[in-house]
Amino acid sequence: MTAPSQLIAIEGVTKRYATSSGPIEALHDVSLAVGAGEFCTLIGPSGCGKSTLLGMLGGLTAPDGGRVLVEGAAVTGPDPRRVATVFQDPGLFPWRTTLENVEFGLELQRVPKARRRQAATELLGPLGLRGFADKYPRELSGGMKQRVAIGRALAIDTKILLMDEPFGALDEQTRVLMGEWLLDIWRRTRKTVIFVTHSLHEALFLSTRIAVMTARPGRIKTLLELGHRYPRAMESAEMVALRARLWGEIREESLRAMQ
Amino acid sequence: MRRGATVMLARAALLLGLLAAWEAGGRAANPLLTVPPSAVLPALWDLVRLRSYPDLAASLLLTLREIAAAYGLAVLAGLGCGFTLAFNRLVGRAYGPILAALYAVPAVVWYPSLMLFFGLDAASKIAFGFLLGFFPVTLAVLAGIRQVNPQLVIVARSYGAGPLTVFARVMVPAMLFTLVGGLRTGLALSVIGVIVGEILGSKAGMGALINHAYGLLRTADYVALVLVTLVLVVGSDVVASLAERRARRWTE
Amino acid sequence: MRDPRVPAIQAVSVLAVLAAWETAARLAWMDPLFVPAPSAVARALGRIGGAALAGLGDTLAKTAAAYVLSVVLGVTAGLAIGSVRLLREVLNPFVIAAYGIPKILVLPWIVLVLGFGTAPAVFYGTLHGLFPVMVLVMGAVRDVDRTLVTVARAYGATTWQLYWKVLLPAIVPSVVAGMRLGIVFCLLGVLVVEMFAGVRGMGYVLSALANGFQAPELFAATALVSAASIAIVLALDHLSDKLSHWRG
Repeated sequence: MTAPSQLIAIEGVTKRYATSSGPIEALHDVSLAVGAGEFCTLIGPSGCGKSTLLGMLGGLTAPDGGRVLVEGAAVTGPDPRRVATVFQDPGLFPWRTTLENVEFGLELQRVPKARRRQAATELLGPLGLRGFADKYPRELSGGMKQRVAIGRALAIDTKILLMDEPFGALDEQTRVLMGEWLLDIWRRTRKTVIFVTHSLHEALFLSTRIAVMTARPGRIKTLLELGHRYPRAMESAEMVALRARLWGEIREESLRAMQ
Repeated sequence: MRRGATVMLARAALLLGLLAAWEAGGRAANPLLTVPPSAVLPALWDLVRLRSYPDLAASLLLTLREIAAAYGLAVLAGLGCGFTLAFNRLVGRAYGPILAALYAVPAVVWYPSLMLFFGLDAASKIAFGFLLGFFPVTLAVLAGIRQVNPQLVIVARSYGAGPLTVFARVMVPAMLFTLVGGLRTGLALSVIGVIVGEILGSKAGMGALINHAYGLLRTADYVALVLVTLVLVVGSDVVASLAERRARRWTE
Repeated sequence: MRDPRVPAIQAVSVLAVLAAWETAARLAWMDPLFVPAPSAVARALGRIGGAALAGLGDTLAKTAAAYVLSVVLGVTAGLAIGSVRLLREVLNPFVIAAYGIPKILVLPWIVLVLGFGTAPAVFYGTLHGLFPVMVLVMGAVRDVDRTLVTVARAYGATTWQLYWKVLLPAIVPSVVAGMRLGIVFCLLGVLVVEMFAGVRGMGYVLSALANGFQAPELFAATALVSAASIAIVLALDHLSDKLSHWRG
């Protein structure tokens, strides 16, 4: 049974989608437990159900079979007091300034204006957005937009942060820098992060564990435990070997997914 | 599939509901003011048998001819004006805004002047239908030209195409969709212009018949005449939409 | 870059047309009974100015009432229908039909039921203004970025918050575009009613002048309404630029 330290428990989850060419099984009997303070990355070929799994944790998608538990309680819908989500598309409200976007979740929770303004302003420093408080999204770069979206998630101060390929639309250099920045933020806030990515580098650089998923129907194929030793020396023999092993696992699945 | 059936069913139910409400309301209300559909049908039958209005055919024909004249002139002038403005940068930038400003005036304010000038006969209706149809055609040409990807023109010219070839082979196909949309809107507005003109004051045509029926409180005949006119309106738009679909198939 | 020749050409063209018109009228190339000289029109404006302004005020008051109704009803209905997929799919053809059908055909019946005066004008003006606003809003709601809706759900938005904090602000540009379109339609509707069965208002003034063959006065009154309507639309354009400052 779920140990008390397991903040998140996914138990035997199945999901099917109806399509025009018949039903498709997106997830098949997926189980995964994540403890508090972990940075757990889901990686796997396109269409393996990573995002679906994340959607279930966020309460945006319901499983067809099995259970998804957060702090021992079944997830029945979005619960912004426990879980915050960052999407690949930053999804910033174009009519809101940086500060107003960061405040969004607090505003929905009816936090008084002065308090939420203060909370959002305090976040701007760590987000590297000081001086951009009153800019609209169209005036920000891609990396900045995504930092605003992450700020919006941090502002509601949940234990759990779900990130669905948050850096997927950024260029390579920005991506690496954003990864370093995120690691720093995570280590300071001690949140539990579930992170979806296609990037081996990101997974190895950031995660305490990596869950490799199979091609459709998605299952957990391998769990890699990396522990809490940071920063990661990406060029060390150990990391290079891990990278090769991870690539081997993913390559096989990606080839299967392409067929 | 199932969803589509639900939608069609709901639409049919709504339509029947509206007819039923009209029938119930029509029976309850003052018969001079409202007539139920069940009373419209015999009136419509009398109308198409030329019993109630023997000059129905002549009126329809007159209205149709007015529409044809108004629309024909609108298309000619609209295309001419649009291309002149589009191909001459300076002229376009000088007169474009004036045109846009005039478009912001509800066209019906010109109608009394047109009536004064052209009289109560067909000419004033043609002039008003022309005025309404002219703007969308002109604006569609301008919008269409703006839409042409300049890269396509550069490519064509680098392959040795002269101005005429560029126009016929690149510009026209690239802007056709927008242009045809404007032509369709123009037709719809020319039709409305002619009908509005006839209802606001005429001696012949569908509008004159409608005014006659309404003036004599022959409400059932009035509704029947409106239905016949609607067939004309909808019919012209169906023709235009078929042309639009063809143009779309051709450009895609 | 603004081309300094553009306003020059515009001014010269307008002046040239007026001058040519004036000359033609003075030389009696055109029958002044139908086409009066600009100078005669200007003098006529002085004569009928007071009465025309009163008529214009009356028309604009009815237009304002029709406009408020059109925008409020159009935005509310467009938001409600546009945001519920089944409702949107079922009602769309009805809304498009109501938008496209020449409303002049039901005008005689409206006058029959509502009589002469303010009520039919406001009703018919609303009938004209409502649908363009509604159609624009319905389309805008349908096209709201789905990610924004997902974000709002993920952050726990209630239905009310979803409408108030996401859908409504997202459609502001379309609402403004609809408001710009709607005002011309409302004014048109009101003027048509006044011409058809008016006892007051600018539409009535215009058709009375035409029936009385008072060409200079008619042209003056026409110019007055046109100027008023252009001014209103320009003001709305200005408002639209201000409200959409967040758009890229």
